[in-house]
Amino acid sequence: MPGIDFLLAALTPLNLLLAFGGVVAGTVVGALPGLTATMAVAVLIPLTFSLEPASALIMMGAIYTGAIYGGAYSAILINTPGTPSAIATTFEGYPMAKRGDGDLAVTLACIASVFGGLVGAAFLLGLAPPLANVALAFGPVEYFWLAIFGLTLIASLSEGNLMKGLIGACLGLLLSCVGVAEISSDIRFTFGTKVLLGGIETVSALIGLYCLPVLIDLVATPGRHLKITHESKGFRFKEALGISWRHKMNLVRSSVIGTIVGILPGAGGSIASLVAYSEARRSSKRSKYFGTGEPEGVQATESANNATVGGGFIPTLVLGIPGTPPDAVILGALLIQGVRTGPNLFTQGEGSIVYTFIFGLFLATILMLPTGLVIGRYAYRTIVTLPKALLVPGVAFMTIIGTYAIRNSVSDVFLMIILGVVGWVLNRFGFSASPIVLGLILGPIAEQGFVQAWTIGAATENLAGMFFGRPISLGIIAFIFISLFYPVVRERWIERRSRRHGT
Amino acid sequence: MRTLKTLALSAVVGVLAASTAWAFPDKPISYIIPFGPGGESDITARHQQAFFKGLFGQDLVIEYKPGGSGAVAWAQLNAAKGDGYTIMGINLPHIVIQPRQKDVGYKTDEITGVYMFHYTPDAIVVNKDSDFKTLQDLIDYAKKNPGKVTFSGSGKGTANHLAQVRFDKMAGIKTTYVPFKGTGASVTALLGGQVLASWGYTSVGAKHADKVRLLAVAMNKRHPKLADAPTFKELGFDLVSGAYRGIAVPKSTPEAIRVQLSEMIGKINAMPKFIERMENDGMALLDVDYKGMPAFMAEMTEVYEKAAREAGVIK
Amino acid sequence: MEPDKSRDLGTVAVSAILIVTAAAAIWDTTDMADSDSFVFPRAIAVAMIVFSVALIAWTLARGPMARPGEEEGGPPSTLRRVLLVAAMMVCAGLMPWIGFVLAGMGTFLAIIAIAMHDPWTRFRQVVYPTVGVVVVLGFYALFAKALLVPLPVGTLFE
Repeated sequence: MPGIDFLLAALTPLNLLLAFGGVVAGTVVGALPGLTATMAVAVLIPLTFSLEPASALIMMGAIYTGAIYGGAYSAILINTPGTPSAIATTFEGYPMAKRGDGDLAVTLACIASVFGGLVGAAFLLGLAPPLANVALAFGPVEYFWLAIFGLTLIASLSEGNLMKGLIGACLGLLLSCVGVAEISSDIRFTFGTKVLLGGIETVSALIGLYCLPVLIDLVATPGRHLKITHESKGFRFKEALGISWRHKMNLVRSSVIGTIVGILPGAGGSIASLVAYSEARRSSKRSKYFGTGEPEGVQATESANNATVGGGFIPTLVLGIPGTPPDAVILGALLIQGVRTGPNLFTQGEGSIVYTFIFGLFLATILMLPTGLVIGRYAYRTIVTLPKALLVPGVAFMTIIGTYAIRNSVSDVFLMIILGVVGWVLNRFGFSASPIVLGLILGPIAEQGFVQAWTIGAATENLAGMFFGRPISLGIIAFIFISLFYPVVRERWIERRSRRHGT
Repeated sequence: MRTLKTLALSAVVGVLAASTAWAFPDKPISYIIPFGPGGESDITARHQQAFFKGLFGQDLVIEYKPGGSGAVAWAQLNAAKGDGYTIMGINLPHIVIQPRQKDVGYKTDEITGVYMFHYTPDAIVVNKDSDFKTLQDLIDYAKKNPGKVTFSGSGKGTANHLAQVRFDKMAGIKTTYVPFKGTGASVTALLGGQVLASWGYTSVGAKHADKVRLLAVAMNKRHPKLADAPTFKELGFDLVSGAYRGIAVPKSTPEAIRVQLSEMIGKINAMPKFIERMENDGMALLDVDYKGMPAFMAEMTEVYEKAAREAGVIK
Repeated sequence: MEPDKSRDLGTVAVSAILIVTAAAAIWDTTDMADSDSFVFPRAIAVAMIVFSVALIAWTLARGPMARPGEEEGGPPSTLRRVLLVAAMMVCAGLMPWIGFVLAGMGTFLAIIAIAMHDPWTRFRQVVYPTVGVVVVLGFYALFAKALLVPLPVGTLFE
């Protein structure tokens, strides 16, 4: 186990300052749709040439963790996930904001993020080497089933019309195929244009599908964007703390889910929060009300996605396999410094830089509580009090610059706007955006997993065993069935019981 | 009179041109990486970045322009300003294969390469506890069980894939290639035992030295940091291949600046510390300068085109 | 609430368009040589056609349904919607020519006008555009200077 000396090494005034600055900068970066943690961390790489490596790493980790939290703001306040990790936060967060509980949702997200972040970091500190094996236990077929599991969420997200949800998901899956295929490197669905060659970038699609319809509806009427039901109540911290305490199991479960999914290099924060949301909804007493602004949903997604930060570092540091894109950049920075990853980092003397970094991550996560509350409060106030004639151009402008910045591409901006209009039209006819987004995100995972599993299964002449004979796969398949049929079964059961009590 | 004027004018222009050439670079140079951050193209560029300022007094600013496995950036290369302050990373076999698959907005010979600075040699990688102790073990097994040796690798039409196709032919075996999204995913599959072996790179051997064994590396001579791994050549297969990386400029870049950039990259390549860092990461350095580029590209194009056709990646 | 036939017609129309989209996707897969490339999209496209046909059949069989409630705050203005999207498109289109700063400012000011439902007081006439200019410049500084994003300078000025 690491000693107290590493903690002290992490606690120098400079490191404190860097962690603080990193969290603040990260939160802002995450809140702006289109600015990603990956980008912010990459910009800092030259700093590692001049700064003490451990300090630079602490700052990178702080930015990363802040950005994952910051994504919640825009998800809650303008229905636009600032980072892909915050997609599922829109499901409950935006309805909460619409009915006037945006401040509560932001504070809840802050508490959940800090909790999840600490859990993830604790697993990283204590159990990294054994847990890294989880990353290896997941083969192509497991990823395939995990993606299918994610797609079962459509049943609950399609608001009454399952058929429309399924069609939306298919559309998203097809959209995910556009461009140069990641593994077969064929060029698909570009229909001769060069604009589509790079495919549909996920974040710009998120901005288009989630944010543009909000803007289009916002501009059309003079009414307020978010309802204000009460005078300023401050942070509503006590209320949020109370809710968090009541649903502590939800927090713990979601954080563990987040950590484990974070360890999987092929998954990431978006999947972690989707799975956590799905589980929170399944086990909640109020699952009927999910989709209308249930605080439990926000807690689940925000604790899960911040837990992926610590979780993602586990394979990164133990195996040298980055768990998430920002991890890849941080791993690159370590490599440039000449740090060799491996289990040795956790056992031998050369671990000092890594332990200092992990304690820095703890530090940054704790700092996120005060800074997050204050920035969140400010963000909420801004969105609520800003007159429409400034809110709409401000957000519209942000979507344009944010989309551009992801790949420095003007055609991505056009694609974003077109997708937004298409999404708005589809929404008018009852096709909601979330199934399309789910398809877009899970498509590559499902396709690659399927193609690889099929290739390996065919080569070893054991296709059935490949898809249905592996223990983890069977476990995931069981969860698929549970999440599909459990709500129906439970409703019947409750019905029968109440009937029995009635007679 | 007139000739005198022209003479004077051209002299002035000449002096001006010379002086600007001397001053280059007098502001930061943008170095566009056609992939996202964190990949090997990024990391090798970052190694160069670390030395650039010390040598030439200006920053090398790395920008990312991912999309279409690099095609999006390469298609826009020639639209950039040709003043030497925009340079772009190029990768082989990508820029040979892509334009031959479909119209991707650029042609191989429209890319003006000024230097190829390194390659990451292909290698057959197995887990430490694998039954394949030598390349011969693997060949023997594959001969007895056609198609049953599964190789993970990074994508199709890539260095890994084309090496697999070429090696299968050389050794007279049939193996199964399973494409993954990038080297990281491919190595994960190997370490997790999802496949029997992997067509990876020497960099995999350097990064995961405690867990994997390299059965053979596709280099001319053994890698200095991986001296245990034999070359394919030693074992009787004429296979030297890998992922080659270089730097290109927009077509409109003047000849003098092309040459100067080429010299600059060559200088970084000669820095002992740079060499050491690159070799520690398992890369192999390469010095193809601006003059040598046409011959190098012609040779590589021929090799890759043939292999890609056999692999069914291009028609 | 009145039954709304147009909504159902819309659903049918959208489904029909999606069927055409899926058919186009299947057609595009026919010139792919590698089964790794076409198996997945083809299966999805077929599924999409099946679901869409089922949805059309179900919608026509079921008959019209009630219209959901309108937005609060008066009838929505379609003109403003169209103008907003147009302004954003124009911004993206002009960016490479006149540069990011000018295109961004122009669009910001245009959208202020489009989104303005309140009367233009003297205060607003001064403050709103100023805010717009400050926001655009602030973001320009953040992206171009701090995050090193190469924002378009504008080919007209080179």
